[in-house]
Amino acid sequence: MHKTTSLKVVTLAITACIVASCYPTRFVSTHGAPMPAETVQGDDWYRDKMYGEYDTIVKTSAINDGMTIKVPRKFCESGKLFSVEYKNTFGGNLLYLFSFGTRRKVKIKYVCMLPDL
Amino acid sequence: MATTSELPVGQWDTLHENGPFPLQRQFITRHESKATMPGRVARYNNAADEIRRLIKECHDNNEGFRAYGSRWSMSKVLHQKDNMHQNNLMYLDLEVDPGDMHQDSPYLAENVFFFECGNTIKLISQRLAEYGKSLKTSGASNGQTIAGCISTGVHGAGLNIGAVQDYVVGLNIITGPQPGDIVYLERHTRPALNDAFAHQINARVIRNDTLFNAALVSLGSFGFIHGVVLEAEDLFLLNRYVKRVDKNVALSLSKTLDFKNSTFSIAKEVDPDGTPAIPWHYKVFVNPYVNDPDYVIEVMYKKPYTGAYPDPFTKIEKSIYKDLIYLLIKFSEKFPKSIPWFIKRLQSSILPEITKDEEEITATLYETFWDAPYKGPAFACSVGVDIADSEKALNALVTLTKSNPIPGIFAMRYVKKSDATLAFTQFDTTCVIEIDGIQWEKSRKMLSLEEYGRLMIQTLQTANIPFTVHWGKNMDWAFPNLVQDMYGSKAQTWKECRSWLLSQEMAQLFSNEFLATVGLDDFISVPPHFIQSLNIHGNPAT
Repeated sequence: MHKTTSLKVVTLAITACIVASCYPTRFVSTHGAPMPAETVQGDDWYRDKMYGEYDTIVKTSAINDGMTIKVPRKFCESGKLFSVEYKNTFGGNLLYLFSFGTRRKVKIKYVCMLPDL
Repeated sequence: MATTSELPVGQWDTLHENGPFPLQRQFITRHESKATMPGRVARYNNAADEIRRLIKECHDNNEGFRAYGSRWSMSKVLHQKDNMHQNNLMYLDLEVDPGDMHQDSPYLAENVFFFECGNTIKLISQRLAEYGKSLKTSGASNGQTIAGCISTGVHGAGLNIGAVQDYVVGLNIITGPQPGDIVYLERHTRPALNDAFAHQINARVIRNDTLFNAALVSLGSFGFIHGVVLEAEDLFLLNRYVKRVDKNVALSLSKTLDFKNSTFSIAKEVDPDGTPAIPWHYKVFVNPYVNDPDYVIEVMYKKPYTGAYPDPFTKIEKSIYKDLIYLLIKFSEKFPKSIPWFIKRLQSSILPEITKDEEEITATLYETFWDAPYKGPAFACSVGVDIADSEKALNALVTLTKSNPIPGIFAMRYVKKSDATLAFTQFDTTCVIEIDGIQWEKSRKMLSLEEYGRLMIQTLQTANIPFTVHWGKNMDWAFPNLVQDMYGSKAQTWKECRSWLLSQEMAQLFSNEFLATVGLDDFISVPPHFIQSLNIHGNPAT
């Protein structure tokens, strides 16, 4: 009985951790306009927007003060950002944990602005 | 040269997932780059040539061709099964100088702007703000393109303002594949731009009120709307309040809009004589499943623009966790009687947050009606009635909905009469009664959306209430004689104007299933002099 309850608590805690760690944070411009999608796809905020994704592992060290990522030209004709979404994943958290903070998985989704005509 | 991508998509859908509908090919035209073709007029004309080429190609293949903007319409009004052109990458704007104004124009040159079809309300608002100007009104958001807005009659809730098409003063339309198939339309009684301006975009000028009013709300079937000339006004601010008021007061205001003699007032919004100020915007929210003595209302008061106001963006957006809604709707399909309970529980999330008098949100029109991002498959049914009938119509529709619960709530907005022939805002002041919500599947216990729409029509007909239906919203559009009953002889005028402007082949090319369903696709033989370009006195222009 005690064992079953503990298992439930652990399962619940892991589930909560997974759900919480996947929640995206999105920074959105209040001016400019997003590049529209050619065809609507998906069922989320990006349905009518053209977006790009950037998935990488950042290596950190004492002499590294961070990482600068240049906006790729693909999906970004204007080179100007309309929104940037950062998503923490459960796997990313585990990597960070087991690499003692030297590796961090970064998943970024971005939408660019319409170019000036 | 402007270039067009051709996508063999197979099917097409609206932003709010009201489809999918079959589609062979989707076109997207992009302008030549500014670096290689700096002139804006040159690029605009170049794009017009490209659209003519596409029209010719579709015509040669004996296929149809229709344009659309941001896919916001929920009905099939814009859909065409052969070829559809997504025009939201065609968003140039052309300079209008005082020297471009028509000598008889009643408009100030500083307020007249020329925008290409794919400019969204958002882009236009930002562009106008650079000149200290604003749109007069918009829909409740900013993602629609200007051509899409006017084609379906998108409206807001500005009491003394019409719908979006009502501040449009000129239309540049491509009606066929030939170089001579580019026209520039204006009202002859209110010309805006001179012939020289029209000639620089290679357009033939036709100034005629009847034709212009018919082409304003064209349902996408008068040709390819390439450019829109609109009248803007000085930038202004809106003070927004959300209140609970006695439902009898809210409904009395709905029938009269007599705020001066109403018991409703906001402490900070009174005239110098102490009487309540007349708001710029009035909206009433109605949850059909509760018998609250109060309704939630939203009012806005217009103020002169000043740069010193707090950032409104932190307060404006309010959302609901979509997945929870889905879960509830799925449950509701099996147990429709649970819908009233769910809507009541979710009311605080669905309705805007109540504000205190001292907590108004001050923002420009652009900021107030900012982005309304996609939040899941949605439906909306929207009817227009005379404000005098608004309470009677609302009560009839609420009674219907209580008997046949669907996952949505009602709102009422008020729009001044439009001059457009087929504008659904055709009463002196139209009360737009809309029910918005999340799509559901028909079940053994629950009506389909189309069946619900049919009951809406029957309910209003039984109550003997004249009404119209928003072209871009869901309804049982195949309901017998619907358009004839709503518009009478205006529908015939609209068809005659369309038949005069387009050749029979082009009328067929720009037609679609929706037009046939509502009986507006007829080609009527009209004499060449049926429409003439006129001067301001109503005489044939020389």
